Amino acid sequence: MTLASVLIVAAGLVGIGLYGALSQQSFVMLMMGIELMLNGALLATLGFWSFALGGAPEVQLLAILIMAVMAVEMAVGFALVVAVYRARQADVIESLGTLKE
Amino acid sequence: MSLAAIPALLVFLALGAALAAVLDAMARAAVAGAPVAQAAGAPFRVGRALLARQTISTEAPDRANWRLAPAWYGALAAVGLSVVPFADGLALVQLPSGIVLWGAVEALTVVVVFLHGWSPNAPFPLIGAYRYVATGLPVMLPSMFALIAAALPARSLDVVAIVESQRGMWNLVRQPLGLPLFLIVGLSLTLRGPMDYADSADLSGGTSAEDSGAARALWQAARLAMLVSFAAMGATVFLGGHLGPVLPGPLWLALKTAIVMALLVALTHLVPRMPVSRMVTLLWVVLLPLSFLHLLQAGLAALWL
Amino acid sequence: MAVTDILFIALSALALWAGWRVFRVDSMVRASFWLMLSFFAVGGIALLLSAPYIGVATVFMMAVEMMVMALFMVMFMMNPAGLNPMQMVHQHRLSIAAGALAFAGLAAAVLLTELPSDPVAADTRVVHDLGIELLGSSMLIFETAGVTLLATMVAAVILSARSGRYGDAWEGAVPPGLEPGGTPAGRVPDEEGGHHAHHGHDDGGHGHGGHHHGGHA
Repeated sequence: MTLASVLIVAAGLVGIGLYGALSQQSFVMLMMGIELMLNGALLATLGFWSFALGGAPEVQLLAILIMAVMAVEMAVGFALVVAVYRARQADVIESLGTLKE
Repeated sequence: MSLAAIPALLVFLALGAALAAVLDAMARAAVAGAPVAQAAGAPFRVGRALLARQTISTEAPDRANWRLAPAWYGALAAVGLSVVPFADGLALVQLPSGIVLWGAVEALTVVVVFLHGWSPNAPFPLIGAYRYVATGLPVMLPSMFALIAAALPARSLDVVAIVESQRGMWNLVRQPLGLPLFLIVGLSLTLRGPMDYADSADLSGGTSAEDSGAARALWQAARLAMLVSFAAMGATVFLGGHLGPVLPGPLWLALKTAIVMALLVALTHLVPRMPVSRMVTLLWVVLLPLSFLHLLQAGLAALWL
Repeated sequence: MAVTDILFIALSALALWAGWRVFRVDSMVRASFWLMLSFFAVGGIALLLSAPYIGVATVFMMAVEMMVMALFMVMFMMNPAGLNPMQMVHQHRLSIAAGALAFAGLAAAVLLTELPSDPVAADTRVVHDLGIELLGSSMLIFETAGVTLLATMVAAVILSARSGRYGDAWEGAVPPGLEPGGTPAGRVPDEEGGHHAHHGHDDGGHGHGGHHHGGHA
């Protein structure tokens, strides 16, 4: 378990997440791809904290901020899904034209 | 602590679950006016009968999740119990963030109950599952505030430190709102009484509506194990756990756990259940602000006591 | 190889495999739970990296988030249980190429850089240090995160409130008519019954909505 191995696992998660985010037609699956990328970022942060930065607590704060970003993304994403569904009866990206005012 | 403690933990869970089943049956008989002494053996008779019966399946269920859900529920009960110290500094799992582990157990309980309701691919279990999610997720918030408030005098998230901080005064005394809030959470975690939106009779058994045979018995047993685990956690965090004058630590813990279990069983059978929408309103509008007040009070008490 | 190394390899494999399974299963609900499993594996690795609070908090938060996501799958998606095989993808080859390129680029960056080394000491009180930091020198950042989360809560409630910025919630929740602009295809609630239906929405309405949603795919 070295820093390089942790970072490569994180890079793998980012790659899979990017594949998912670009390929999925459904809104919620797209959000799952973004969550996976944030997962990779979280793992990379923790890897750097544990191996390279001597346990500086500010880096754990960055990890907590990444978790806050995950929560924000999911909350706003779901609210948008609900709003778009009510306006357009749409749950796939293709059927979304514009979210008219 | 060594791996030899795992059998001890399982024995504690099994004996506690048996006691909880007996208490539950006797309380139900007492409330209904039926003979109480006869009801004490009912859970074991019913359990034996269920184990002998056929397991009936539905059409296209999620078979793996359905069969495994009671096992996961029981495993969560065991994981929750593993952070509870049985004697001075002796817990199976000693994490610096033990309280947060219990929070994770609560969150995963909601997931497991949802899976149990979703996997039979039938309407009543699914309704029970999502009704439970609608109440079970918000009820975790007062739980976390109650536990954080209990962690304040201990200045640590470790359950062992929380027990140590109660040597002078129990948390029940210096944080009076804590145990009532925590008991409400316990009713939700163990699918009982006023918070039983998952397995209730108005959905003809809810998530257990399509359960039969051994799977049904195992799910009920897992619910009772979670009751034991929750009562042990409540006794540890609010009643001082293994602390006490004459008797050995584990015996005090068992006694206090039994008291909390009896309280929960009484609440199950004496408090009615509200419609879901009202309960959701109650949770968000009343219980959550109350838990903020509780945290404020606990903080002030920790600063000045 | 130490126990931590074996655990790390197992958890990393679980995280990557679960992450891949998210996009391969037919069932949307299963996809959210596979994602949850991936996060649990990362939480476990965090525990191995001596970050006890972050690890357990990741498990906690992701259990709740994925539970909500699974519930959304049941509410909105047309095939939550995956009973019919389904693969809803677009620009598939481009996405695979992009993902592989991202991984290759990042891995190359990792392997070709000289990484610093300053491991966390075994006896640091990690949770204690984090607490002091959060409410001490980084309090402004923490408070800003708190206000951001509050703004998110307000935004989410506005976007999904029953009174509906984009039209009344009940109107948007019924299926469209069989002809464009026709009467809704489902059961039409009568006027004062609309109120009861809101409460009954919790118990029976979802069953109706889901049934018709699956029908009009």
